[in-house]
Amino acid sequence: MQTTLAALAVVAVGYILAYVLFDRLRDRFGYVGGAEYVVIGFLLGPRVTGLLGAEQVQDLTPLVSLALGWLGMSLGTYFRLPTLALLPASHLQIAFAEASATFGAALAALLAIFRYLAGYAWSDAAVPAVTLAAIATLCSPGAVDAFADRARSRDGILPVLQLTARIDALVGVVAFGLVLAIFHQGEVSPQVRTPTATEWAVINTAVGVASGILFHLFLGPVARLDEAEGNSRLFVALAGAIVVASGASYYLNLSPIFTTLVLGFILANSGSSHRDVSRLLQATERPVYLALLLFAGAAWSPGTVDLLFIAPVFVIVRLAARLFGGRVAGGEVAQEPIRTPGLGRGLLSQGGIAVAIALNYTQVRPDLNPRLVLTATLLSVLLFEVVASREAAEFLAALGNRTNGGEAQTGERLTPVEQGR
Amino acid sequence: MIRRIVVLALLVGGALLLEPLRVPTEGVIAPRSLFLFGILLLTADTFGAVAHDVGLPRLIGYLVAGLALGPSLSGIVPAGVLEDLSMMKRLAVGLIGLLAGAELRLSDLRARYRAVLAILVVQGGAVLLTLWALALVSSDWLPFLQGLAGATLVFVALLFAALLTVNSPMVTLALLEETRADGPVARTILGVVLVADVAVILLFTAAFSLAQASLGGQTAGAPEILGHLLREVMGSILAGAVVGGVLTLYLRFVKREMVVFAVVVVFATAGAAQALGFELLLALLVAGFLVENVAPVRAEPLVETLHRMAVPVFVVFFAMAGAELRIQEFAATWPLVVVVAVVRAGAIFVGTRTGSRLAGAEPEVQRYGWMGLVSQAGAAFGLATVVADRLPGIGLAMQTTTVGVISLNTLVGSILFRRGLDRAGEIVVR
Repeated sequence: MQTTLAALAVVAVGYILAYVLFDRLRDRFGYVGGAEYVVIGFLLGPRVTGLLGAEQVQDLTPLVSLALGWLGMSLGTYFRLPTLALLPASHLQIAFAEASATFGAALAALLAIFRYLAGYAWSDAAVPAVTLAAIATLCSPGAVDAFADRARSRDGILPVLQLTARIDALVGVVAFGLVLAIFHQGEVSPQVRTPTATEWAVINTAVGVASGILFHLFLGPVARLDEAEGNSRLFVALAGAIVVASGASYYLNLSPIFTTLVLGFILANSGSSHRDVSRLLQATERPVYLALLLFAGAAWSPGTVDLLFIAPVFVIVRLAARLFGGRVAGGEVAQEPIRTPGLGRGLLSQGGIAVAIALNYTQVRPDLNPRLVLTATLLSVLLFEVVASREAAEFLAALGNRTNGGEAQTGERLTPVEQGR
Repeated sequence: MIRRIVVLALLVGGALLLEPLRVPTEGVIAPRSLFLFGILLLTADTFGAVAHDVGLPRLIGYLVAGLALGPSLSGIVPAGVLEDLSMMKRLAVGLIGLLAGAELRLSDLRARYRAVLAILVVQGGAVLLTLWALALVSSDWLPFLQGLAGATLVFVALLFAALLTVNSPMVTLALLEETRADGPVARTILGVVLVADVAVILLFTAAFSLAQASLGGQTAGAPEILGHLLREVMGSILAGAVVGGVLTLYLRFVKREMVVFAVVVVFATAGAAQALGFELLLALLVAGFLVENVAPVRAEPLVETLHRMAVPVFVVFFAMAGAELRIQEFAATWPLVVVVAVVRAGAIFVGTRTGSRLAGAEPEVQRYGWMGLVSQAGAAFGLATVVADRLPGIGLAMQTTTVGVISLNTLVGSILFRRGLDRAGEIVVR
């Protein structure tokens, strides 16, 4: 316990150091990456300084699950149906086409690599391949929002990019949640029958739905509470719902990210507190996300082969799949005036949900090469964070949307995604 | 009410339904513990709302929820899970300590130091002496005193009295936060309880060392007792000063991400407290006090953050404290427990009235101040555990009796304090 407390303190000190050092970059250049937190976590971890030992990193697993749940919920609250209904149908088509094409291309390539190059059986190849394909599909909504904030105009392709980043995340999280349910691992009590794959998927979804119902019932009518009491109740309700949903998923060896995505979706589309929920989640999202990157860095123990061969292959697969997905959606599905075959260049950033999925994979499937999945993901985060901002800026500049770093005016023609927050 | 019953049914039903779908595993915080922590949190808050609706303090609801789900009654949250979650409780204690220190303003203390000191000395002395006398007189009925004689009887009885002199800063702060009470009673009782937290550690440590020595355990001479006291209290104050310095630097140069920083400070201090043997609550109380009253920075961002975190923190703390209440021990020894609790409350009443009159405190403090000093909670439970662990034989028997008394005082004390604040007209939020 004592070492765990010390480990937590070390993680948090690392987090604050990184925050203080890199915040200036963020303020000046719109840098939102977070790769530096992975590096700091790695430096604090067992492979370098050992300030965070392997055992302590393992001990912090439930807190990681909680952080995963927090991010999943935050993503789920973006999908508010009345707001999505305001979007042009063509934008949704482009976004889903991009996500599906990217996921499909990455999955095909990764399955081939695991099956024919690495020699895995199909059933063993499916889980890491789907996981890595989900990660390849993910693009950081925060990073895309950052360039949207720095562009004066909200016309043209920016709303499509913002929406696509979120649909990418949705497809990635759902694919990952389903693969963990279908290929579920873990013993059940002898008194009950082992659920089938479909039943596990239903259980995973049902926990999210039940937590959402619980949240509303628990919160009750907030209108009669004063502001301070209302905020406290909201925080307890939200934290409680996330802890219950994440804890239940973690307990059942399922994906907390998927469960809380469902929970977030329920909250965004029911009750009157969705704006307060989104506000509260946004206020806490960044610390949770950055702490997760630190944990991931500390848990990272790359093998030489993974680092030199397999992870770079994943980066190449992701780049190719991303550009392919962008070409299919932006070039074939999109029509003028938003036809943009280079759409994938604006969606290169990798983001925290990818790290969350990789960490979740290491918790749930320690038997199926977790080190490789984490190494590939973190390498992808590190490399793409370096190039993503510049590529996106050049892509937008080429489209004439990008200005020289001017801030968007507050309240200026918000996109539907932003209105929904 | 129906809505709350449905919430409780969903929570308890969910916990029971999902339980068999996985064979429990071990870990520092096992997967099951995180899930049950969520169940405990929401159940406690729901019970808190019910308690509030019937005019009781919310913390009674939190305690009852913990009791209902804990090992004493339903066992949905077993002892192993509580052990797993002790990190959460420590976080709660630390954050409350920081908040308490920041709430203790030098100007208030200066204005009412006479009343605070007089009540502290007279009331504390009255409780200590009365319970000591009661223990000596009724040694044949108290299981941990049976068969003892001479100096051993005197010192073990003193330890018992010292253990029950402890108040509860947690209950006081939770009630002041809930009711946002402000006035002479609220300010005086907060001052007494926080200063008493330091004084009682000194008293307990001295009594414990004397009892231990008289029982023929480790020898504890005067220099050793003094050294132990110095390490515990001075170490806590020194650690508090260091933490206060760190907080000051952070508030001056960074002043961002206060929630994360507050959590860091508590965990780091908790780690250091375990390693170096000082008291977490006292250290953070000193740190909060220094930042609010001495440091050349504005402490509002920290204080506001701590206030925002207060409700969930209190829910966690009292729900876990409730889960640790031992109803069976109370049931087994209830006549004895009730007698001791009533005598203690009587001593507090007389001591507080006398002390406040001597200091010329406001009439409300003279009339209702005693009601804020009956409650006991976390610190008292912790000290009872120390006695059980370190005094083999009689320690466990003393713990059984004192835990019964402390449990009763936790429940009755918080109701009394709320009533006292209400009668004094100091409650702002009902």
